[in-house]
Amino acid sequence: MRKLLIDIYYVWREEIKVVFRDPAVILFFLVVPVFYPLVYTSFYNNEVMRDVKVVVVDDSRSSLSREFVRKVDATPDVKIVGYATDMQDAQKAMWRGDAYSILYIPSEFSKNLHTFKQTKVQAYSEIRSMLLYKALPLAVTDVSLDMGANIRVEDVGHGSQKQDESSMQAVVSEWVPFYNTTNGFASFLIPAVLILIIQQTLILGIGTLVGTHNDRKTFTIASHAHIGKSINSVRLTLGKGLAYSLVYIVVSVWVLRVAPYLFHLPQIGEPMTIAVFLMPFLLASTFFAMTLSYFVSQREFAFLLLTFTSILFIFLSGISWPWTSMPPALKAIAALIPSTPAIHGFVKINTMGASFEEVWPEYLQLWVQAVVYFILAVFMYKWWIRNYDPQYEGKLPEKE
Amino acid sequence: MQSGILAVAVREIKRIAVSKICIWGIIVVPILSAAILIYMMSAGLPQKIPIAVVDQDNTSTTRALVRQLDAFPKTDIKFKSLSFREARLRMERFEVYAILSIPKDFTRDAVSGQQPKLVYYTNNAFFASGNLLFQDLKTISVLASASVGLKTALAKGFSETQVMPVLQPITIDSHVVGNPWVNYSICLNTSLLPSILQLIILIFTVSAFGSEVKSRLGSELMRIGNNNIVSVIIGKMLPYTILYLLVSLVFMSVLFYYGDFPLKTGFFPMFLAYLCLILGSQGLGLILTAVFQNYRMGLSIASLLGMLSFSITGFSFPVEAMHSSLQALSYIFPMRHFFLIYVNQALDGFPIGYVAYHFVALLGFALLGLLVFPRIRSFLEFDYEE
Repeated sequence: MRKLLIDIYYVWREEIKVVFRDPAVILFFLVVPVFYPLVYTSFYNNEVMRDVKVVVVDDSRSSLSREFVRKVDATPDVKIVGYATDMQDAQKAMWRGDAYSILYIPSEFSKNLHTFKQTKVQAYSEIRSMLLYKALPLAVTDVSLDMGANIRVEDVGHGSQKQDESSMQAVVSEWVPFYNTTNGFASFLIPAVLILIIQQTLILGIGTLVGTHNDRKTFTIASHAHIGKSINSVRLTLGKGLAYSLVYIVVSVWVLRVAPYLFHLPQIGEPMTIAVFLMPFLLASTFFAMTLSYFVSQREFAFLLLTFTSILFIFLSGISWPWTSMPPALKAIAALIPSTPAIHGFVKINTMGASFEEVWPEYLQLWVQAVVYFILAVFMYKWWIRNYDPQYEGKLPEKE
Repeated sequence: MQSGILAVAVREIKRIAVSKICIWGIIVVPILSAAILIYMMSAGLPQKIPIAVVDQDNTSTTRALVRQLDAFPKTDIKFKSLSFREARLRMERFEVYAILSIPKDFTRDAVSGQQPKLVYYTNNAFFASGNLLFQDLKTISVLASASVGLKTALAKGFSETQVMPVLQPITIDSHVVGNPWVNYSICLNTSLLPSILQLIILIFTVSAFGSEVKSRLGSELMRIGNNNIVSVIIGKMLPYTILYLLVSLVFMSVLFYYGDFPLKTGFFPMFLAYLCLILGSQGLGLILTAVFQNYRMGLSIASLLGMLSFSITGFSFPVEAMHSSLQALSYIFPMRHFFLIYVNQALDGFPIGYVAYHFVALLGFALLGLLVFPRIRSFLEFDYEE
């Protein structure tokens, strides 16, 4: 037992040295995790799309239609950039990129409203992004409900103030967006991205380390044992895995705690709960990365093999396309990736303020992953030693 | 032995054919990603997102309202008889993504003009679920108000034909140009897949030269290319260009033919856009190779740009909402130009002249790539060290 711990300690110590001697690994383990959270958050930091540019075609040209347009312009999401004489003209404005939406008010707008007839306005929107297209329809719906209510009071005749309010709106409603109260994009996406940054930099960094050993044919030294020590694959995996995880405990504090704080993102979780939840995630993603590194046969190949996985992993986590609507086959694949339960759990604790009980299923899943990927990583090293280093079996040769 | 541009190309094809990493990265990865992403979003819009209704009134009116809500395809009422506390707990466990709360005496208050209040809570930590459910819940509240209004108006002596104009004097017809179903797959996959392609092109262009230098084959390569850097680079790039075009054709057929996604201006402009994206990205890859003259550094920056491009292209969060400096920065990514061409050509069907500038920009990346040929020559003749 004592010997086991000493062996692991040697592997651990040597691996830490290797990590901090290699500029490529420092780039992945330290530089990228420091800057990526800042870069990504700055992209999404405006949180919401305001003032979507709209051009108006007003065929009614009445005081009511002008009031309507004024009210639409006053909503925060929409900005009227100008009037067009007809639809062709408006379309040209859209082609030139001067506007993303067109609001069309028909010639009978005012007449209908004064004669108990329904009138219909048209909203045309371009859908270059999910956030752009809905600004005008939502703004117009709100304004038409609001103006419609006032007109209704005129129609049914005034009564007491209370009666008027009731004819304006028989039932009132209120939307309470929980957890991400401004309905912001950064507040929703960044927590998931942060978890993914941790996992993906681990994958690329460990891949680079393994690729480098392959390049230099330094398989024996790859075990980084003390001279003469016998290091089997279990000790190798444990020692190395602990070395990487330890570096990432420090990295996580910056990525998950400080960086979101700097940008005022939702952070209502208990730091201790997050820390406890994080342990199996760091281990699981470390051993996951060590397993994947089996395929990295050259120093530079981690990029070519694995960069694209970031995109697939974030979509598989169910943060964008809702998890509940995902096909079961993909849920099964997603369940194998440490980032999936980690993102779910982190969002629950950090963004929704959940307690430890609520993340219990994810916590358990992460521990299972940590154990399974540990076993796979052991096999990876076993294979490695057998194929490349049969002579020394992981021992460092005695210097002659 | 043969030499010249053809010899370089033939040599490169052989290199690709025996390289597991090229086959994985250039052929398997794009097709695997396309399969996963398209399969994931094959429903178009997320269906049956679970919600809870806390109905404290429980009359025939509120039950009808709840049934109506349940009939919406996006909403799936999973719990009907929970207390608000329990519902809230289910929300924290991701079992439901929204709660509709109907107050006690809702029906009585509504009819007697007391303006009862429907409150709906959505989990906006999940942006798509939260916003989709918001639409359904907002619609149901408007309907609730209208159905009560209908009863009141009839009681006040309005005729049936008069009622609708009174209830809703102004209605709105919303048209979404090009994607009226607001299909997620059309919104995302048409840009995600080319972005993955761009990422692949950037890193494999850098690695095409980096791997030669690393194996100290740079001088040999120059010899085969008759010491003419133009034939070396063109000969080396051409097989990749053709491979990427084939991948693009797979993407296009899956998206626009089998998936029947809108493609208003037809095949050719889109094909041209893909071709220009490929050439532009290869140009950018050459620039990175020349600037960094270091295999690993070039790859790092290529991956960095490739990954950032998923955000800064603006197909999820619009570029128009970003800081103005980022808006300017977005134009150094070939994907941004491709994306604008795609939106204008496939979805909106604008005359191609309005996006000609973006075609020129993409070709500009390719032309800029030509300028760095001498630098790539010195890279190839340089000894690898790392």
